[in-house]
Amino acid sequence: MYKGGYKGKILRVNLSKNEIKIEPLSKELVRNYIGGSGFAAKILYDEVGPEIDPLSPDNELILATGPLTGTLWPTTGRIMFASKSPLTEIGGESHVGGFLGPELKFAGYDMIIVKGKAKSPVYLYIEDDIVELRDAKHLWGSDTHETTKIIQEENGDPEIQVAAIGPAGENLVLYACIIINLARAAGRTGMGAVMGSKNLKAIAVRGTGTVEVADFEKFMELAEEAHERIDKNPQAREMTKYGTPLLVAYKQEIGELPTRNHQTGVFNEWEKLSAETLRENYWVKTRACFGCSIACKKAFKVTEGPYAGTFSEGPEYEGLYAFGTNCGNPDFGSILKANLLCNKYGIDIISAGATIAFMMELYEKGIISREDVEGLNFTWGNHELIVELLPKIAHREGIGNLLAEGTYRIAKKIGKNAEKYAIQVKKLEMSGQDGRTHRSIALGHATAARGADHLRSLITVDQLGYEEIAKQRFGEDKLPEICNPYTEKYKAYATKITEDVYAIRDALIVCWYSCAWPPIFWIEDFAQILPIATGIKEFGSIEELYKIGERQVTLKRAFNVREGIRRKDDTLPERFLKEPMPEGPGRGQVVNLDVMLDEYYELRGWNKETGIPTKEKLKELGLNFVINDFEKRGIL
Amino acid sequence: MAVDYVHQFALLVLLNLNRKVTKIQKILVVDPEKCTGCRLCELVCSAFHEKAFSPIKSRIHIIKWDEKAVDVPMVCQHCSKPVCVDICPTNALYKDAKNGIVVVDETRCIGCKVCVLSCPFGAISWDTEHGKILKCDLCDGEPQCVKICKFDALKYVKADKVTLLRKREGAKKLSELVSLIVGEGFYARG
Repeated sequence: MYKGGYKGKILRVNLSKNEIKIEPLSKELVRNYIGGSGFAAKILYDEVGPEIDPLSPDNELILATGPLTGTLWPTTGRIMFASKSPLTEIGGESHVGGFLGPELKFAGYDMIIVKGKAKSPVYLYIEDDIVELRDAKHLWGSDTHETTKIIQEENGDPEIQVAAIGPAGENLVLYACIIINLARAAGRTGMGAVMGSKNLKAIAVRGTGTVEVADFEKFMELAEEAHERIDKNPQAREMTKYGTPLLVAYKQEIGELPTRNHQTGVFNEWEKLSAETLRENYWVKTRACFGCSIACKKAFKVTEGPYAGTFSEGPEYEGLYAFGTNCGNPDFGSILKANLLCNKYGIDIISAGATIAFMMELYEKGIISREDVEGLNFTWGNHELIVELLPKIAHREGIGNLLAEGTYRIAKKIGKNAEKYAIQVKKLEMSGQDGRTHRSIALGHATAARGADHLRSLITVDQLGYEEIAKQRFGEDKLPEICNPYTEKYKAYATKITEDVYAIRDALIVCWYSCAWPPIFWIEDFAQILPIATGIKEFGSIEELYKIGERQVTLKRAFNVREGIRRKDDTLPERFLKEPMPEGPGRGQVVNLDVMLDEYYELRGWNKETGIPTKEKLKELGLNFVINDFEKRGIL
Repeated sequence: MAVDYVHQFALLVLLNLNRKVTKIQKILVVDPEKCTGCRLCELVCSAFHEKAFSPIKSRIHIIKWDEKAVDVPMVCQHCSKPVCVDICPTNALYKDAKNGIVVVDETRCIGCKVCVLSCPFGAISWDTEHGKILKCDLCDGEPQCVKICKFDALKYVKADKVTLLRKREGAKKLSELVSLIVGEGFYARG
């Protein structure tokens, strides 16, 4: 059916009915959405309406790969999970590397769609043509590491790839994540809680088949060339040596290292968490995801102090931010420990760190007292507390039951103006950027489909001095303003383009760390490889790819609009709009969001007052089913 | 039939008796410490030999222990005294006299899989799809896995160089200590 790239099969699992079906991957879905995140957006729109509660059996959990998954093209070892998010109650998704995505393709499937709820805990077992729901009562309560090991052992095959939830997912912690290969997380938007709500402990996959491409010789030539480009890229080689912790120093330098719940962008003890420090004192091994020649993963070991003996893969920059700078904590041992605990319990590091930082600020401001929080000491930098809280969150034990709800809901519950300090957008805790000293991400955080997200539009080249690349991507006429992080000018334009290109990236699926930072590949590379992989000529047109990207962004917006999201929700915490950056190179900066929003909606063809995509735009993108749906629901 | 087998067996014994130890010129060296576990070697190996991406068909495999961050590339060592060659009842496996590579002659292979079971490295696998054995043939002298590995976890070098390179690696610490005093040594400018 397909010349290459796709396996042509979707696995449909209904846990309530204990039913497994295989359905063909429709050509229309492929042609209009390419794969990965695009597939998921369409299926979620069609099958998960606003009446469905995220933690109810009717919600669906989608696992999707793309046409390049499992091939030799660099960084294509990825898979994505999508569902309506229990944390944000809008479209949720999370992408992850490791080895699961390719394994699913080798087993013969492009996608899995899980619906319903099993009567008792089960895990989904896939070994090529064998697809079964197996009892997981003995796994319930186990952490992700134990679960992975037991599944591999009881099936006598250590090569089985496992996606597992830990106690956090079982206990419906709203930001529970899914863990693959012990240390790779589909972290954001609570996908682990969705699995937990379905009594689905794990998905285990073993595949011994083949991924074919349409023009094999040409594909090999281009893929090998692409690996060469990575090899010759100095930033990529830096990533090999240090990984994302590199960003600690870069961000400190430009005053965008979020510190103490985003109060400032400067962390005085940053050197204790710098990539150099980590490499010198803790680094043990460099590792990679499937088919990647960047290898940004680092295993670290702590040999001294209270956390001596802690050995784990990670943390990424976001972990150093979440449990480090943002909690005012320079102790690397505790961050590695917290990182390991999050992986075991299946907790999203960013949301967990942000929730703890938020509580620390409430304590600082006197909004909560020790009596309110079981006598615990929420002082900045109290790393023992961070480590102590994670098991409590995972088991919803005592104060952990409150923390498991995330910043938005805690603020609602506490009142007393606490929401001012909840650093979230659309109920998703913010990642480690600050719009005041990187203006384009202010717009990105405010508008991204899954909330305060850094992966759907973060431009990077406008901030880290990549003038040449900014010129190529956005046009020479946009310089110098485009590379000035303190001005709103052209940022809506660059955000729109970047978001559309990243939508294609997330459909292929290739890793963020090959086109965002370091900025090696871009849309022209995708237009070159896609027709060769799939045999679909239309994918060779850059214009067509932009359109498909825009279609995906708009469809995700439409899903959220149907859930009630409007322009008023595309905003930022007060801190970024009113409190000037207090120190550092960006001292005095605040975000003028409305200017960028107006421009962004205009470029997107969304109504400026409401933020709803216009009928004309929906029509232009071939989203007529959205028009019909909106008209029926009185949205348009 | 039976006579043929006896004949073959006799031939095998003879060959082994007369076998000269061939000197292998270049060997594939793996360095697990540098291996990132990305499995690109598996992809290019299957691509080169099977024209498709299928790690199961690769002649090299990365064996992992995620909990210890350990990744070990496992591949045919082209042993000096190869068990697979000794045990093969049809002489389908033999050591190429000119370069020392352990080669399979597919026309002679009867698919008994004794080599698969006997290799101490598990370096020979069985292709269930085509009913044949899969083993490293060093890609006609240009191993594709070495070419794609950007981390030097796989090297294709002259056999006699290997031990000296290992020694140099081991002595590196001392050299680094000395450079604290002499800097770049003679290479220093000025």
